[in-house]
Amino acid sequence: MGPLIPNGIISMEWDSIIAIFIGICFGFVLESSGFSSSRKLAGVFYGYDFAVLRVFFTAAAVSVIGIYYLDYLGYLDVSQLYVHPTYLWGAIIGGVIMGVGFVAGGFCPGTSLCAVAIGKLDAWVYVLGIMIGVFLFSELYTFFEPIYTGYFMGNITLMDSFGWNPYWIIFVFSIIAVVAFAVSDMVRKRVKKVFY
Amino acid sequence: MVKKKVAKVLSFRYKILALIFIVLAGGLVLLPKHQKQEGIKAEQLLSNVISPERYVSTDQIAHKIINQDPSFILIDVRDSISYNNYSLPNAINIPLKKLLDKDFEAYLNQNQFDVIFYSNDNFYADQAWVLCNRLGYKNLRVLKGGMNRWFTTIINPVKPNDDVAAEEFELYSTRKAASMFFGVVYPDQVAEQSDMQIAAPKKVITVQKKKKRAAEGGC
Repeated sequence: MGPLIPNGIISMEWDSIIAIFIGICFGFVLESSGFSSSRKLAGVFYGYDFAVLRVFFTAAAVSVIGIYYLDYLGYLDVSQLYVHPTYLWGAIIGGVIMGVGFVAGGFCPGTSLCAVAIGKLDAWVYVLGIMIGVFLFSELYTFFEPIYTGYFMGNITLMDSFGWNPYWIIFVFSIIAVVAFAVSDMVRKRVKKVFY
Repeated sequence: MVKKKVAKVLSFRYKILALIFIVLAGGLVLLPKHQKQEGIKAEQLLSNVISPERYVSTDQIAHKIINQDPSFILIDVRDSISYNNYSLPNAINIPLKKLLDKDFEAYLNQNQFDVIFYSNDNFYADQAWVLCNRLGYKNLRVLKGGMNRWFTTIINPVKPNDDVAAEEFELYSTRKAASMFFGVVYPDQVAEQSDMQIAAPKKVITVQKKKKRAAEGGC
């Protein structure tokens, strides 16, 4: 049956409307769980607040378990889902830049826009930085192009590259998640409380 | 008293949630795996099989070929010997045994052309039709009566008796004209048509691969 849009159960014309609706919900959840504060986001790196780790880890694990149950029961075809293509070195370099930016600025692109919406000044500066970065990248595109489009490995997943069983990966991933939650809680209790 | 108990249970809520979480994930590992059904549902296939909509007549095909209708491709499901011996113009040979080969999927699984199967009769073509239909391919047709009917109606039409309706004669003359198009030479026109045996050049049919629209995603 699913996914709904590629199989024509919901027509493609609804794409933008659904995207806007999901975007509003996503923004609302980010803001209401305090992710528009750079201190809360940066807390995960300094060890005083692990909300980011918990929220995103829980979201990923719950959705992957749900998707695979739906797949098992035949409501959803996992093989039809979109897998982001892998450009190996582009992803590594981009990940490093993104990580440095995250630690230094205290936002990821999504949450920075959330914080812009509620008027945080640091987020304005951050988004301005993103814009400058986008501009520089566009201007120097010919220079970056070999890395940007090179080392292409297709729409691969861990199952494709290593031949792992997805069900075991999910199980191990869930255990890692629970252990990470427990450890992060222990760390949080030992680190001095930061008020913000 | 009850509240106290509830509070006691709730103090373990994260542990309980974590337990549920791991049990659900472990459930995925332990569940017995089953082969997933591919293609359309059995009920749908049955209703498709019963429906005679898939058949096209030899007259319709002759009409399409003569008018150079670009909207269809002919698939000959007989073996390659029969195919090389005689086949319809521009037909593609996909023997029934090789029907599901990856090489031929682009011809069968597309939305660009009508696919018309034929064999000597329509039995093998029907089998090919069922297999492809089961996989959910679209726009599949079967030539009713296959090559045999093609010969008895188009290539060598039977002259109707004098006592039948006028339509029969019209049909006969249409078929006769069609047979001339396909290279049959009648005695009354041998004189003027001596050098008409030029084989029609094989048309190259290019099939665009069906594009699956990839959904875009990102954070």
